[in-house]
Amino acid sequence: MTDASPERDAAADGGHEVAHDDHGHDFPGTGSIKRWFVTTNHKDVGILYIVTSLFFLVLGGVLAWLMRIQLFAPRGLGEGILAPVAYNQAVSAHGLLMVFWFLSPFAFGFANYVVPLQLGAKDLAFPRLNALSYWLYLFSGILFGVSFFQGGTFSGGWTMYAPLNVPTFTPDVGASTAVLALVLFVASVTVSSVNFLTTMHRMRAEGLTLRNLPLFSWTILLTAWMMLFAFAALLAALLVLSSDRLLGTTYFAMESPAGALLWTHLFWFFGHPEVYIVFFPALGVMAEVFQTFTGRRIVGRKWFILAMVLVAIQSFAVWMHHMFLTSINLQVKTLFMITTIGISLPFDLMVFALIYTMLKGKIRFTTPFLFVFGALLLFIIGGITGVFLGAVVLDYEFRGTYWVVAHFHYVMVGGVTALVGGLYYWFPKMTGRMYDEFLGKLHFAVYFVGFNLLYFPLFVAWETPRRVFDYAPELAPWHQLATVGGFVLGLSFLIMFYNLFKSAFVGDPAPDNPWEYATTAEWAVSSPPPLENFDGTPTYRNGHLEFLDTGEVAPTEGRSDGPTGAAVSDGGVTASATTAVTADAELPTAEVTEVEGPSHASIWPFVLSAGAFLVLLGLSPLQDAAFPEGMVGAAYATTTVAGGVVTLGSLVAMGLEPFHGPVFEEGEAWPFAGIDNGKVGMWIFLASDVVLFGGFLGAYVFTRVAFGWTGWEPIPSDPIPGLVNTYILLTSSFTVVLALVAAEKKHKWGLVTSLGATFVLGIGFLVNKGLEWQHLFHEGLWLSTNVRASTFFLTTGLHAAHVIAGLVIALYLTARAWRGAYLEDSRSVEYFGLYWHFVDIVWLFLFPLFYIL
Amino acid sequence: MVSTKLYTAIYVVLFVSATVQVLVEFAGLSYWLAFGVIMVLSAAKAVLVAAYFQHLRFEPRSLTYLVGIGLVAALALTLAASYSLL
Repeated sequence: MTDASPERDAAADGGHEVAHDDHGHDFPGTGSIKRWFVTTNHKDVGILYIVTSLFFLVLGGVLAWLMRIQLFAPRGLGEGILAPVAYNQAVSAHGLLMVFWFLSPFAFGFANYVVPLQLGAKDLAFPRLNALSYWLYLFSGILFGVSFFQGGTFSGGWTMYAPLNVPTFTPDVGASTAVLALVLFVASVTVSSVNFLTTMHRMRAEGLTLRNLPLFSWTILLTAWMMLFAFAALLAALLVLSSDRLLGTTYFAMESPAGALLWTHLFWFFGHPEVYIVFFPALGVMAEVFQTFTGRRIVGRKWFILAMVLVAIQSFAVWMHHMFLTSINLQVKTLFMITTIGISLPFDLMVFALIYTMLKGKIRFTTPFLFVFGALLLFIIGGITGVFLGAVVLDYEFRGTYWVVAHFHYVMVGGVTALVGGLYYWFPKMTGRMYDEFLGKLHFAVYFVGFNLLYFPLFVAWETPRRVFDYAPELAPWHQLATVGGFVLGLSFLIMFYNLFKSAFVGDPAPDNPWEYATTAEWAVSSPPPLENFDGTPTYRNGHLEFLDTGEVAPTEGRSDGPTGAAVSDGGVTASATTAVTADAELPTAEVTEVEGPSHASIWPFVLSAGAFLVLLGLSPLQDAAFPEGMVGAAYATTTVAGGVVTLGSLVAMGLEPFHGPVFEEGEAWPFAGIDNGKVGMWIFLASDVVLFGGFLGAYVFTRVAFGWTGWEPIPSDPIPGLVNTYILLTSSFTVVLALVAAEKKHKWGLVTSLGATFVLGIGFLVNKGLEWQHLFHEGLWLSTNVRASTFFLTTGLHAAHVIAGLVIALYLTARAWRGAYLEDSRSVEYFGLYWHFVDIVWLFLFPLFYIL
Repeated sequence: MVSTKLYTAIYVVLFVSATVQVLVEFAGLSYWLAFGVIMVLSAAKAVLVAAYFQHLRFEPRSLTYLVGIGLVAALALTLAASYSLL
């Protein structure tokens, strides 16, 4: 999308000096293909996200077109262009691709590009992990693409309801691959959440308190928090499903007690926060663009933020409104109806704040504003029609109809509308070129007409049953309108692609800030910004953005093309107009910052993701824990092994690679001030792991309650092997503590011995578990014997997988300690300890629940 | 922060209470009483490991709250889902 060479930028920016400071590192320019495979820079990763997500938009859009063609008239079996199963696949893949592979990644493209700039950070806290998030995302999408060619992709709907999601009903290998693709996608999201949360809490410029954080960054912060916990629950659901499909456990099987209900709980505990996960970034874009193009700070800014925080919390307490037609009891339905009405209230506040901002400001109808204004209208319709569905009695009637389809498309694609506005808004910043305003407005006009022509008739034709292509013939005219609208909406994007592609190369040069009244920090640097974002250290200590001179780079003085609307700032701070330069005398760490410039290149995130892709592709044809017979099975098994080798190898390579993240001076870091980034990141990851195990234990407790709690006998008849393993694990935790003590005392052999002992104890744990499992297998118990056995083997198996992962790290640490590492800097040992103790704590609950009670 | 002696004492307490959990099971208490005792012991052990081995006691309280939020989310899911069956 961008081909911005530094020379052209300089020209584009009116000749003022642009600091493309590569520090002499071997980091190719943006014109080189290699650059895009090795880059860890947040702006590059942002562009990769945006381009890739737009590709998935096209893919999901073509699937939607196929559906709309099929729905042009009510069809019987075998009529129309799609066979029944092909239609089901198109419906399912369209939903999954749009929600997971387009919407969130599109928003996170902007988040990657803009958030560090708004924070005053040079990059994210863990640049290589950021690149890893992108590559995992891309490869998960490729894996989903592969699933179409393995007999057919998943066809059970985007909600993947049980029992349709088990091989009895969706037997294709491709269906398993689609589930595994989602697992890989969730891995990407988790890495990304940890990275963003660490960055946004720890790396804000001095004076940029959370209260003063620009609204787009606020929405991304809340989105990342919701992602951290919601996607952990989804990961639990997907791992259980993968196990049911590949290993033969029976959680979701028809004969398991409440198996179908279990899936809906796990899925919607994730699924409802997911609605806000995809919508919040759009809301952030709306807020930013409204402020810029009305020239007014958002009305009730503090309350707007408070309302968003409330929604983020409440979003975890409304999930059962998706389950009003299941067998859950009436009391809980009533409770969740109340919480659902409750969550609509903060949204009312936000909508009124946006409307009032328009009334008090002076609107300029640019393309970005038109899109976000359109998005607000669409969201109001989507929101109001959703209130109907939140009422238990009305939902009895509307559930499974096109009312639902129309409602969530108004909400979700309403969000897309705002994000498209965001693409126009930040396009000049990203490319250094202006887009064509006329074509932008034309795009909006066609888009908006197409959108309403597509989705509004679906409200009228609401009696159409969802997910099937047969409906009452009198509804046909409405569906024909919708099909026409679908093509208008889809084709409107051709205008956008043409406009943006052409403008990226030959558009008018964009100044630093092409938008009068835009006040956030990304507009105070050149378009596109230099590699490390700022010429000096950004600070807000005096209530507006200033750059402290580091003495190395020539400062950019107040520019003639700078914004003039400083008086109307976003938060309590103004992030532009006064680009003052302060001497570095009072900057104690200024000398330290550039001793060795930060690294920007690593190939290992790419290689690691490719390895993970191969592992999951190789595992896809498993059934009952066995590969298929013959050559095909052997090929898949080989792929798994090869992928495993690549994954492990690249992990080690990444560990050994000298890589310097951005050096930063701690500014605002509430609530994690004074805690190292690595430690904060580890704890945030562990918090998500708590929810992952919570999902597994929740599934166990739920299934046991459905079965009858006290009628459920533990699988191992003898608790002693479990007790022995408790002893082993507790001892290994103790040796990790000793290792850290030894490292802090710079006692090399104490460190090596303690780490080695931990490794040996971990192996002992696994051997003991292996013997126990062997014994149970001999008794005729297998994963698929019954749901009791399934929960036992899978939950303790997930724990064992955590132990194995820990052992890999322990081995690596032991080898490095042997060569004298960690005596000066024991943080790696400490962080490993945090993980290992967590695995220990999990076992402290698994042992009584699965062995004694 | 903490002396190796205290770490050792905590390790011994953890070791013993794991044993007690199994003894409780064989002590012939009523099921739900035994259930309560055993789960309380597990929770106490978890708190010990988190507070001392993961030294949360000596970190800013925000890290404890962070883990607490995850725990609340997991419990909300487990309890509400199980309740919905009743």
